[in-house]
Amino acid sequence: MKRNRVFAAVAVGAISLLGVTACSTSAPKDDKALTFMVFETPALDATFWDASIDNALEGLSGVTVEKIVSPDADRNAYAKQLQASGQFPDILSSINPKDFLDAGLLEPFDQSWLKENFLQPEANNIDGETYIPPTNAQVIPLVFYNKQIFADNNIDVPTTWAEFADVISKLKAAGVTPLELAGAEAWAASMPLVGLASADVLGQDPEWIQKRYDGDVHFTDPLFADAMQKAADLVDAGAYDSAALSVDYATANQNFLDGKSGMYPMGSWFTGSSYLTPEQAANIGAFPWPTDDGTVVIPFNIGGTTSVASQSKDVGNASEFAQNWSLDPRNLSVLIETDGAYPMMKNLTLDDFDVEVSDLYTETYGLVTDENTKVSAFGWINNDDALAPGLNDLFYAMSQSLFSNSDVEAQLAQLDADWDAAVGQ
Amino acid sequence: MSTQVAARRRGSGTRRRGLSLAPVAWIAIALYAAFLLYPIVQSVIQSFTDRNPLKPESSFVGFANYIELFQDPRLARSLGFTLVVVVFVTVVANTLGLMFAMLLNRSTVNYRVMRTLIFIPQVLSGVIVAFIWRSILTQNGLLNVTLQNLGLTDTAISWIGTPELATLSICVVVSWITIAFSTVVYTASLQSVPAELYEAAKVDGAGVFGRFRNVTFPMIAPGMTISVTLSLITTLKLYDVIAVLTGGGPANSTKSVAYYLIDVAFTNNRFGYSSAIAIFLLGLTALVAYTTTGLLRRREAHL
Repeated sequence: MKRNRVFAAVAVGAISLLGVTACSTSAPKDDKALTFMVFETPALDATFWDASIDNALEGLSGVTVEKIVSPDADRNAYAKQLQASGQFPDILSSINPKDFLDAGLLEPFDQSWLKENFLQPEANNIDGETYIPPTNAQVIPLVFYNKQIFADNNIDVPTTWAEFADVISKLKAAGVTPLELAGAEAWAASMPLVGLASADVLGQDPEWIQKRYDGDVHFTDPLFADAMQKAADLVDAGAYDSAALSVDYATANQNFLDGKSGMYPMGSWFTGSSYLTPEQAANIGAFPWPTDDGTVVIPFNIGGTTSVASQSKDVGNASEFAQNWSLDPRNLSVLIETDGAYPMMKNLTLDDFDVEVSDLYTETYGLVTDENTKVSAFGWINNDDALAPGLNDLFYAMSQSLFSNSDVEAQLAQLDADWDAAVGQ
Repeated sequence: MSTQVAARRRGSGTRRRGLSLAPVAWIAIALYAAFLLYPIVQSVIQSFTDRNPLKPESSFVGFANYIELFQDPRLARSLGFTLVVVVFVTVVANTLGLMFAMLLNRSTVNYRVMRTLIFIPQVLSGVIVAFIWRSILTQNGLLNVTLQNLGLTDTAISWIGTPELATLSICVVVSWITIAFSTVVYTASLQSVPAELYEAAKVDGAGVFGRFRNVTFPMIAPGMTISVTLSLITTLKLYDVIAVLTGGGPANSTKSVAYYLIDVAFTNNRFGYSSAIAIFLLGLTALVAYTTTGLLRRREAHL
């Protein structure tokens, strides 16, 4: 009986300790190892990340890095879960830094290092500091089009909104779905809205997002509301397949490549080899999202790679690892080839990356390097123009709700209320 | 004298058996406390704060989160959607589960194989089931292709692309999973019904419907209590199927309460408010389970 009591006491103690341990910060296997939160895609698979970590560790003696893989594409949400359980990583790949700054979780990069290495060293600035190196750019969205379908129907590439609307009518009359849309996934469904908010709103008022933070403008104002009305008009005009909101991203890509649709608003990553073969790329052209008067406005996002945790157990080595990772051409070459990333490195030209890219990639890269009006890609940016927490998802979801709810004004009023709640106004 | 000794021995033996089970019971209680009660208590505490998952410090806000909860139109929408799914799944899964159980209530190999096949959805993870159904329900999926090949429709139907059809799709998929469980529960219940009762009913002239109403339906009452209650509970906290099948869309129309509270916590950085929603969901689930069990047990008592 005594033995049972002792056993019971030991068991309870052990289990309680286990419970307490489970609820406290769990240490990595190697206490000195830095942790690196990554995400995997078919293009950026485990092999890529493992090799990139080895590359970045060259010259960093005595440092080891353990990889933490985000379970899905929402790196921000996973980083927040890790933080909530006391496991915030030392280094994080491709997060949206603004979400984490109020809590002081990120370490800014050295300004002189940024100026020395990047074409637009201040592109990712938030309140004057950069938390994600501005290594590569994307245009979100471009409008990709099928050259053969355009030729078969005597359609010229549109430059104004009126011409764009005319192309939609001609394609519809020809029995071709005018615009492909991956409507089942809100981020992909939002491409037309992102194009309109970027080109029509930010094209005319580049400070619009900052003014929204200050409460000087609202989503219901005519400038924004008129742009969103165009998105609703596209739905009404039958620009999309009737089952567009049941189309996932992979199916949308395939539909467009199979010639089932004439145009496809999508991010410039679509020029990468993980989406297109060289033969497919040869039949595809791209044009910027059209504006009323034909002004070229490029919805632009400077992407980035690694962010560093300010509470890292070794901020110095974490920062050095992050810098090595960001500058290594072997890492960026994979992003260029497979994911269509446009490099924004001061000391490296495209030739230095030893990559094979399509003519489509090269032509669209010109939009980034040319002198033109570049604005923040609405809802995609990593700098001061990042939207309030949670607003990206709500804005993306609005693109789906336009299919069943044509009351644009009411939806924008809700978006204003959501914004105010998110920023605590 | 011998009786007293025997009683003492029985008492001693009972005590010894009880004590021999004590360590196991204590381990169970400790595990329960560490992994269920402790997180619940933590959530209750957090629900009275403005806790942000990114910040270590938080402030006490009293009942502010609970007041907001009753004024939140997005939560109301999620709750409405969740209740639609709960009612649909509970009714359909239990009706069809009972029907399948009766059809397959034989002990031959063929019927056992069919019962196993019906149980497969319950074995699969909700994520896998949702991936399978997603491939069926998308624009170029199996369902649309089949309907078009049969000439039943010219254009693809947007099964997960309109709020109504997406809701229906989720109801069907979750029912498909839940039917498997209900079938097993009802099969077990049916197998415990004494054959003599059916014989007696036949002698009394009862037909198929009469035997079902007067013998089967009353006798499976305990099984029905289990099946209905667990269907309600599991559907109220539905998350995985929705995350994969619709991602809460289109336009947030298929966000369950469980899905919404995760959004609030990790997208809007409002751990305190999401904890309040979690406690609300826990209370709602407990209330529904308690009420349903009470009603169904009352029916059992009338047997």
